[in-house]
Amino acid sequence: MIFFKRIFWILIAGAAVSACSQESTIPAPDSATAEYAESGSPDLSGIWQVMNTASWNLEGHAASKMPVTTILGALGGIPAGMSVVDGGVIPYLPDALEQRDRNRADWNNLDPVAKCYIPGIPRSTYMPWPFQILQTDSEIFIAYEFGSNSRSIFMNRPGTQAPLPSWMGYSLGRWEGDTLVVDVTSQVPDTWLDASGNYHGPNLTVEERYTLIDDNHIQYEATIDDPDVYSRPWKINMPLYRRIEEGARLLEYKCVEFGEDLVYDHLRRDYEGPRALDGTIPEETQ
Amino acid sequence: MKRSTSLLINLLIIIWAGNSLAQVPLTKWGKPSLQGNWDFRTVTPFQRPAAFADQEFLTPDEVEEFEAAVLAGREARATAEFDGEYDQQDLDVGYNQFYLDQGTTMTTTMRTSQLIYPESGRMPAMTERGRETAQYFRALQSRSPHGPEDRNLYDRCILGFNAGPPMRSGAYNNIMKLVQTEDHIAILVEMVNDHRIIPTDGGGDDLPEDMRLWKGDSKGYWEGDTLVITTKNFTHLSRFSGTGQNMILTERFTRLDENRLEYEWTVEDLEMFEDKFTAVVEMQLTQDDIYEYACHEANYAMPLMLSGARKQESEGVEDDTWLPSWSR
Repeated sequence: MIFFKRIFWILIAGAAVSACSQESTIPAPDSATAEYAESGSPDLSGIWQVMNTASWNLEGHAASKMPVTTILGALGGIPAGMSVVDGGVIPYLPDALEQRDRNRADWNNLDPVAKCYIPGIPRSTYMPWPFQILQTDSEIFIAYEFGSNSRSIFMNRPGTQAPLPSWMGYSLGRWEGDTLVVDVTSQVPDTWLDASGNYHGPNLTVEERYTLIDDNHIQYEATIDDPDVYSRPWKINMPLYRRIEEGARLLEYKCVEFGEDLVYDHLRRDYEGPRALDGTIPEETQ
Repeated sequence: MKRSTSLLINLLIIIWAGNSLAQVPLTKWGKPSLQGNWDFRTVTPFQRPAAFADQEFLTPDEVEEFEAAVLAGREARATAEFDGEYDQQDLDVGYNQFYLDQGTTMTTTMRTSQLIYPESGRMPAMTERGRETAQYFRALQSRSPHGPEDRNLYDRCILGFNAGPPMRSGAYNNIMKLVQTEDHIAILVEMVNDHRIIPTDGGGDDLPEDMRLWKGDSKGYWEGDTLVITTKNFTHLSRFSGTGQNMILTERFTRLDENRLEYEWTVEDLEMFEDKFTAVVEMQLTQDDIYEYACHEANYAMPLMLSGARKQESEGVEDDTWLPSWSR
């Protein structure tokens, strides 16, 4: 009995240490330098961007080839990156992990973002394009350069629900101290979390936390849950960097014209047949 | 007596001005608040109909009469019986009356057209270059499409048919969100889920001449209580009503009261048109939400059109009737 009690307390202590270590990844806000809006909340307005490779793969990954290296050479590789997932690995249910692997096997044809579809949340945050936050008391508007997509975080609608599912979902925000907390629901199941087949189902919920830790850095954390796909809720963490250079601005990356090549190429008049992963046309289809 | 009358008039002007100002919500930093969702549906014709000739404004009775005539026309079209297999008066480019949401009222300017310059309320003549360019694109979009690039930007979900810029009431999704901070404004038109982020402090340096954007490069500044936005560096494909890449757009947003936003815009492109043209409408504040119009994600029309074109080719059919009826 004493043995089991000891095990119990060891587990409790372990969980507490684990929780503390996760908290410790978020630097404390520096109230001396963080900017505050007139309303008293931290002012997150500005242009932000990640400096990581999470959109390629949330989990740790070595550099690898893309199907275009015969055309682009060294420019056509996927850069390596450390995992941004707490604990390193996404806790898939067994069947869901098999689906992830099937996605991964044909990722360049299946990733919705390759087709220029809306990346959804949280992936929009860590796409390798900047985004701009326009903060007002009633609504925080985030404009993403990729695809000219955007979302509204409603600050004055607690307890409301989305009228219907959408690619970006329905975002309700609130301030918890100096942290902007956003609950995102009602996302369609068509988005992926990265280009490596990591995915979710229709019951995805995301809790985002934006903490301004100094003038030029936001610590971003998202808790991702979908009981149909994961064995437990899991978290990602990453800093967002303010674009501080003079003249920094959001430009257009209207990717439809690029996605068309993937989506409609086989319907072009001069279509020559499917291309192999290295970009060449297999002899048997010529 | 004369002096007291003058004082009374001055007092009335001050009261009127005070009331008028009080009706315009202000931001914390003292500028008129433009924030909100704005409905720009209107049945006011873009160009002045011939029936109104030199008449610039309508009376309230004439407005009522015009609106009733528009609604009656729609009702007649929706209930008409068509007998021809190819008669598409009620089912045009995939839409019948059910799908259209063009509003039921004229804009509160009570004008006979949205266009206010040229004074005729009609579009200025195109230059020879403008006509040639328009003919090129008409021919391109008339042929059986070789690929998505042959179709217009609306079919491709690259620009919204009513989102411009400038915005102009169209078949549906005539709603715009403005989000305003002290130094920026975001404009999001539901069609096609595409934002413009515009500095309102004059902006930075101009973009280089060869840096072209689908929606152009916009900069804003305040002229009194009016937000003025100028936009240039459009692509040669952006083509608002036949403009080219050198078009310069000036938009003026003025909040008139709690519920109305005056939106006036001027297009200058003397390469394509012999004169500039200006339009004005008054948008209405709405509590309706903007929905996510995921156009490209659900563009079933494009693969169907391209499949149809390939089918025609395989059968040796030459077809030059692909120009949508609304642009014939």
